[in-house]
Amino acid sequence: MSANRSPEPGATNRRTAARDDGVREPAAHASLRAWLGQHAYGALSSLGRLWQRRAATLLTVAVMGLALALPLLLHLALRNLERYGGSIQEARELSVFVAPGSDAKAIGKLETAIAADAAVESVRLRSPDEGLAELEALPGFAEAVALLEENPLPTVLLVAPRAGLASDAMAALAGRLGALPGADLVLYDLEWRERMTRALALAARLAAIVAAMLALGALLVVGNTIRLDVQGRAEEIAIVQQLGGSDGFVRRPFLYAGCWYGLFASLAALVGCAVALAALAGPVASLAESYGSTLGLVGLDLETVGATLLAGLVLGWLGAWIACGRHLARGRPA
Amino acid sequence: MIRFESVTKRYPSGQEALREVTFAIAAGEFVFLTGHSGAGKSTVLKLVSLSERATRGAVLFGERNLAKVSARGIPAIRRQVGQVFQDHRLLMDRTVFDNVALPLVIAAVPRAELEKRVRSALEKVALAARERSRPVELSAGEQQRVGIARAIVAKPPLVIADEPTGNLDPTLAAEIMALFATLTQAGTTVLVASHDLPLVQRMKKRVLVLDHGRLIDDFRPVPPPPAHVAAAIESVRP
Repeated sequence: MSANRSPEPGATNRRTAARDDGVREPAAHASLRAWLGQHAYGALSSLGRLWQRRAATLLTVAVMGLALALPLLLHLALRNLERYGGSIQEARELSVFVAPGSDAKAIGKLETAIAADAAVESVRLRSPDEGLAELEALPGFAEAVALLEENPLPTVLLVAPRAGLASDAMAALAGRLGALPGADLVLYDLEWRERMTRALALAARLAAIVAAMLALGALLVVGNTIRLDVQGRAEEIAIVQQLGGSDGFVRRPFLYAGCWYGLFASLAALVGCAVALAALAGPVASLAESYGSTLGLVGLDLETVGATLLAGLVLGWLGAWIACGRHLARGRPA
Repeated sequence: MIRFESVTKRYPSGQEALREVTFAIAAGEFVFLTGHSGAGKSTVLKLVSLSERATRGAVLFGERNLAKVSARGIPAIRRQVGQVFQDHRLLMDRTVFDNVALPLVIAAVPRAELEKRVRSALEKVALAARERSRPVELSAGEQQRVGIARAIVAKPPLVIADEPTGNLDPTLAAEIMALFATLTQAGTTVLVASHDLPLVQRMKKRVLVLDHGRLIDDFRPVPPPPAHVAAAIESVRP
């Protein structure tokens, strides 16, 4: 056993020795520079190759870019929906209508009693005048409000429950608040909010599935393109392997090509999404305006841009790695 | 430099390319490997460059048993073996310079050093003026010289050549062989497989003869007498 192993250390020495007389490197930094130079060469030469076949490259980048753009758009749509959902957080609020004819003192007592409930986060008072003013601001209501001789609106206490309150706890809270002296009616819209949350969770899951499938598609697109490239250069690869090129050396230009494809595809996806957002911004703004909202679209932030570029790079690299793997074994003796 | 100890090579097809072949080649030696086609010449070279592995027996390169070299270790071995192929196997879409530089690029030799060595290798094969040409613009003999420059540029201790003159006319073939012969001056071991017997005989080097996978002859030429002895013989000749 030990006899079998003994060549190994000697072998390492021999390799170093061969390096010393065969390939002289004046200092460690020179070999580091040579290594970096090899990588720079690999990156640039593979870029040059893509440029030589720009039509094919463009096609691959376009297909992969689409595969990346779709999940990106889904992600943005979800984020906007979530934000919209956040802005209608008020739907979570309970409206406690104060019994008509209550004086300021009674209202104050009711407010204090509500605020004392453990399940209540905050209480806000909306006077009949404030309510009327809000009503007037709604499109088409100004004329109707002008017709009123006196303010028919009651005083309303807007109660924000603690975050994460379950629906049955919400119902219990509503029951408690309705039983308080001076409270007339308790309104809350729980189901709507629950459904919204669930629908968003479902959409997020769907988006994740679609993203995973499209990422796999992008991987296959790069993998297949690189595989064709590897096949086209089979002769060159065989020669390099005969001359002592390691697997890493052979793989390097293809890995760089994969990274370039991924990088260009994610850039294309980002540009595509930016264009889509710009095209949607107008209609969304006018739709929001009709609802009296000034909410615009959430666009691409730095984090999303970074994540998209990274995803493209990783997918490109991985696709290239997989495409190279099988071919490399051919240069080795059985 | 190279030792074959009872090496047998059987291909998956069942064909036995080498049978119990034993020989040794010293560092700096020039050896021809000859025999009819299919005698096992190429197999011997493939075992040395680790393109194939022996079925039985040991192939030693230096003191290293090639059977113990892992797949990861193969490139390091191949970098110590300069290879010349019958069809030269140059990259047709690269310049002569880039082709010759390839082994140095693989070995990550710094650019300045690389340029110096490539030019020196091209000078040795008398192609210094053609470094910007592409292989297709060269004659067959010139292409093979580029292949030789590529094999020697990294200064490997061993150069192997498989029928390097197979596609060349006799004059060019003789030129190429003479070029190989000069390599041993720098201490390089050279192993050339060739079935061109007249040429092999003219070269007056050691010849290993294979027949159906067996080594049937190891012919060493009688060394020419030293110059002063030759002169003495000449002077007493009637």
